[in-house]
Amino acid sequence: MGQIIASNLTLGYRRKKVLQGIDLSIDKGEFLSIIGPSGVGKSTFLMGLNATTTVLDGHLQVMGHDLNRVGGRELKSLRARIGVIFQSYNLVARLSVLDNIAGGMLHRRPLLPALLKHYSHQQYEEIYEYMKVVGIEHEALSRCDRLSGGQKQRVAIARAIAQKPEIILADEPISSLDPISARKVMETLRQANQKYGITIVSNLHQLDYAREFCHRVIGLNGGRIVYDGPPGGLCQATVARIYEKKEPAQASDIVAGPFPSTLPLPATALN
Amino acid sequence: MQLAEIKRRTNPFHPYNLAVTLAALLLIAWCWRATEMSVPALLDGWGNMIVYIAGNPDIKDSGFFPPNLSGGSVGKYLLSMLETVQMALLALILSVLIAFPLSFLASRNTLEIILPGQRPLTRLVKAAIYASLRFLANLSRSINEIIWALLFVSAVGLGPMPGILALGVHTSGVLLKLFSEGIETAQQEPIDALAATGAGFLKVIRYAVVPQITPFFVSMTLYRLESDVRSATILGFTGAGGIGIYLFDKLRSYENHDVTTILLIIVVTVAIIDRISATIRARYT
Repeated sequence: MGQIIASNLTLGYRRKKVLQGIDLSIDKGEFLSIIGPSGVGKSTFLMGLNATTTVLDGHLQVMGHDLNRVGGRELKSLRARIGVIFQSYNLVARLSVLDNIAGGMLHRRPLLPALLKHYSHQQYEEIYEYMKVVGIEHEALSRCDRLSGGQKQRVAIARAIAQKPEIILADEPISSLDPISARKVMETLRQANQKYGITIVSNLHQLDYAREFCHRVIGLNGGRIVYDGPPGGLCQATVARIYEKKEPAQASDIVAGPFPSTLPLPATALN
Repeated sequence: MQLAEIKRRTNPFHPYNLAVTLAALLLIAWCWRATEMSVPALLDGWGNMIVYIAGNPDIKDSGFFPPNLSGGSVGKYLLSMLETVQMALLALILSVLIAFPLSFLASRNTLEIILPGQRPLTRLVKAAIYASLRFLANLSRSINEIIWALLFVSAVGLGPMPGILALGVHTSGVLLKLFSEGIETAQQEPIDALAATGAGFLKVIRYAVVPQITPFFVSMTLYRLESDVRSATILGFTGAGGIGIYLFDKLRSYENHDVTTILLIIVVTVAIIDRISATIRARYT
């Protein structure tokens, strides 16, 4: 039984269908990446998994919760089990690395100590462990606006791990990073996946990283799934099909994102 | 876009710009006439002011100089200046206690964390909270401290307490407006990130909103401390405590050398507060 199950799913915003006819099952512990041209709905899909974007039609089940009718407390407790990593890190700039990571634990802390930012010895130890997992313990008390992009993203991963989630959604986690920092971030995600058994669903633009780190790749184009399989199956023709310019199935109600007019393939993607 | 169009839109002498300039000039002229402003009157009367300040040699003890530095009165004024600062501090604490919690309900972004959702009833409740808080803030700050002081003097009698209440009420209106506008400039992304962890709204505000706006809050609060001290020096005119009682009394009885002493004490106090504020502000960047 999949941890995430989508059947004939249509996702989008009010009056805007972005993705249609999605059938998909993701198991616990997978490391999966979603690829496709910009504006195709990769983020919409990812944000659908924690009910930020709305299920317009079909069914979406995440860890046994039906996202068609989740709300209130149930949604809060579901979101507590799903960590999110953003392209622009979304850290609190003026807070230290320590406090930012503690931000992920808020949902399971009593109110008063949380408001006073008081941590128990156990919590210090826990946060320190996460810092070591992402390799940021030497900057524990630095303010996050002093860190480099790669360091910030690793703090964001530590914050997501601190949530003790079962799933981490990573929305283009390495798009703003240089190759060395990007590799480090991907390795950190892999560690979260292996050490804690967290399912990782990530949007990627970098095919070579998808090949190297993921168990499974999903290619989206024209609002639909056009590839679902192991990264080994991404031959040149498949890649071209994922990134080819495609007219949306229903031009009127699918958002025509900024489809690139030429193949946006990095040189390394086709080797 | 055609080049001609680009040139037309970026022309500094565009008829629209000329019209705005003309309108501004007309507005100034209109106000100038209505208020009977006159440069000649100021130029002609300049000498009188100098005589008033420096004193008329024919009249004993006229003018503001030298200040009265006799130990007794300086000590008396210093003590009442101290009381003025104490009033301002208490008033400031009162107004922060009122404005700080309310400001999160008077900002659209934090109100959305507290009451999430777009259902018609939720939106109505949010609009009502927002509008009524903004209205209360407008009401309390558009009524001058002096008027509030008169009202509170009639309620609790003479002394510093009505002054503290008056300053507190007025300043909470000011701070509520400033704080909530500051909160609305907070970056949304960290707020989204922490809301996505399933944390409750108080915790999200504590970890994602408060750290972002702390420097702004500190600087606004310190500015209001200075401005409360300045206002408190006048509140004594209504009998509401502080150095204003002496200031009013000495002005009325033409003891201008004492007035100078009092004004000097006020100026030095405000300068000291400004220095302390700058030191505190520098710690919050």
